[in-house]
Amino acid sequence: MAVLAGLVVASVAWLVPFAPNNEAGVRGAFVNAALVAKARRPALTAAEEKYIRELWPIHGDVERSTLRMSLGQIFYTTRDLSRADLGTRVKEASATYKAAEARLHALEPPASLHTEHMAYLSAVALFRESAAELLKMFSDGRDDHMLAAYPKSQEASNKIREVGGRFWPHEFPPH
Amino acid sequence: MSSTHLLNHAMRVGIFAFASLGSAGILLARDEDDDDDRGRPPQVLKQGFESTDQLLDDIERAERGPKHSVWIIESSRFMNVPHRAFMPDVGDPPFVDLPVNVGIIKAPNGDITLYDSGWKQLAYIFDWNTSCCWAAIRSQMRAIGLDPNRVVRIIAGHAHWDHSGQLSEFPNAVLYVQKEELKQIDFFLDYPTRFNGGHIRAVNTVDPLTGAQVGPPAQACARSPVCGYPPQTVQEILGKLLAGKARVIDGRHEVAPGMIIHPAFRGHTYGSQLLQVNTSRGQLVFGSDTYSSWTGIRDWFVANIQQTDTIQQFLAYEKCYVLTSKRNSFHNCIAAHEPVSYTAAYPITSNWWNIPGGNCSRAAELTLANGEKTHVPANPDRTPPGQCHSVIPPHEIRP
Repeated sequence: MAVLAGLVVASVAWLVPFAPNNEAGVRGAFVNAALVAKARRPALTAAEEKYIRELWPIHGDVERSTLRMSLGQIFYTTRDLSRADLGTRVKEASATYKAAEARLHALEPPASLHTEHMAYLSAVALFRESAAELLKMFSDGRDDHMLAAYPKSQEASNKIREVGGRFWPHEFPPH
Repeated sequence: MSSTHLLNHAMRVGIFAFASLGSAGILLARDEDDDDDRGRPPQVLKQGFESTDQLLDDIERAERGPKHSVWIIESSRFMNVPHRAFMPDVGDPPFVDLPVNVGIIKAPNGDITLYDSGWKQLAYIFDWNTSCCWAAIRSQMRAIGLDPNRVVRIIAGHAHWDHSGQLSEFPNAVLYVQKEELKQIDFFLDYPTRFNGGHIRAVNTVDPLTGAQVGPPAQACARSPVCGYPPQTVQEILGKLLAGKARVIDGRHEVAPGMIIHPAFRGHTYGSQLLQVNTSRGQLVFGSDTYSSWTGIRDWFVANIQQTDTIQQFLAYEKCYVLTSKRNSFHNCIAAHEPVSYTAAYPITSNWWNIPGGNCSRAAELTLANGEKTHVPANPDRTPPGQCHSVIPPHEIRP
């Protein structure tokens, strides 16, 4: 029994490193360790589930593009990435943000998630504006557009993390 | 034509053919395909290797610098974590609470260095996770008698979001981060998912509703190469760089007299780094998550194996043993998540107290330089964690 319980815990440990135990009363209850894999989310309506599922792939595209654009600027600044390659990244990100906005407008958020939806929509608009600012550096040659672009992308990153924390608590487990 | 003549002729033809093929590179082990190898993983990864002699030299070098005063504070605390999720070889007790420790190092001239910068994502901490005790580092510092405006540098032990948060709260501090840490995020964003059905990917690795992290295409984020780096964290690093307040370094680096960064590549993440600090109790070596657990480094157990090569983690343990070999040995290795932090069981952290107004977060005074008075209150609040009640700070989502 102890071996079995150990295996259960070990398998959960592999699946959900550092996932906290959110269920009251299981502390010290060795066999209940599997419960730690579940977040304490209130029951969702069908409309809420549908919305959160549909937002998920949009969120992934936005995150990937943002990371590529941020790291592109870092490596351009450290001279590890060419201007042309940075330009390619920014153009790709700009296209992603425009597409993401269109996809977001096509969603039908339930009233209960309207605040989060509007927050996400405004975040993507900020990302798009930030990318547009960055694109100017490839027409006028001035790198200081990165400075002007930064506050918008920072604010947008804060917003999608706050919304993400509500919708997808396991997206970034504690490390 | 005689047989000898034929043989000579054949040999000449053969030699000519061999030379021709060789000169064309055909006989060499050449990559004949037309693909672009630049996108492939490097065949030799940076090791961050430092010899024992080099490390011993760095003890002497740091000893020529000033002695520092050192504290740790708790940025927040993960509650009820399955012990084996943290240390696969240790399951007793089955659940543990893990502090998120941040190092505060004060030089004799008053300049302060932070090792790690805690985390800032309150929605995550308080809405879904039963973690407790988060408080802003600036207010924590003030509450223990240290001036946050004197923070001149932040050493990111690694850039995961729970260790490199709050960077923007210290606009005048220079951030030190390894280039290797950033390169690996960039590389794995382009991981070729078409061959594994999305089995390994950078983001979106959980079921959007259940949070389950099971096999393709929703693979466990925690073991994937880019998990732990939300855009928000990388943005803050970018912000530092654009402001001229970041140093993207490559390996060992002496940041100031008596303070040396040592690479610990893949000891926890690709660009993890240790910080050696000269003090009156010998060299302290901060490990962040390269040695998340002090008992792990003491007893030689792996801990918190995320983007980790376990051999590199043990080699990082060895680095700490060498650097602390003149005094106190592994007792001077400072771990980020040791469950018994702020108790006598982790002796260097035993002089602890609850930070006044710190939402049940704790501080510990590790060592003082000559002339630095203790920051431990005359009557320190040592209310046990189980009897301290933390509150949830406001964290509204605004459109």
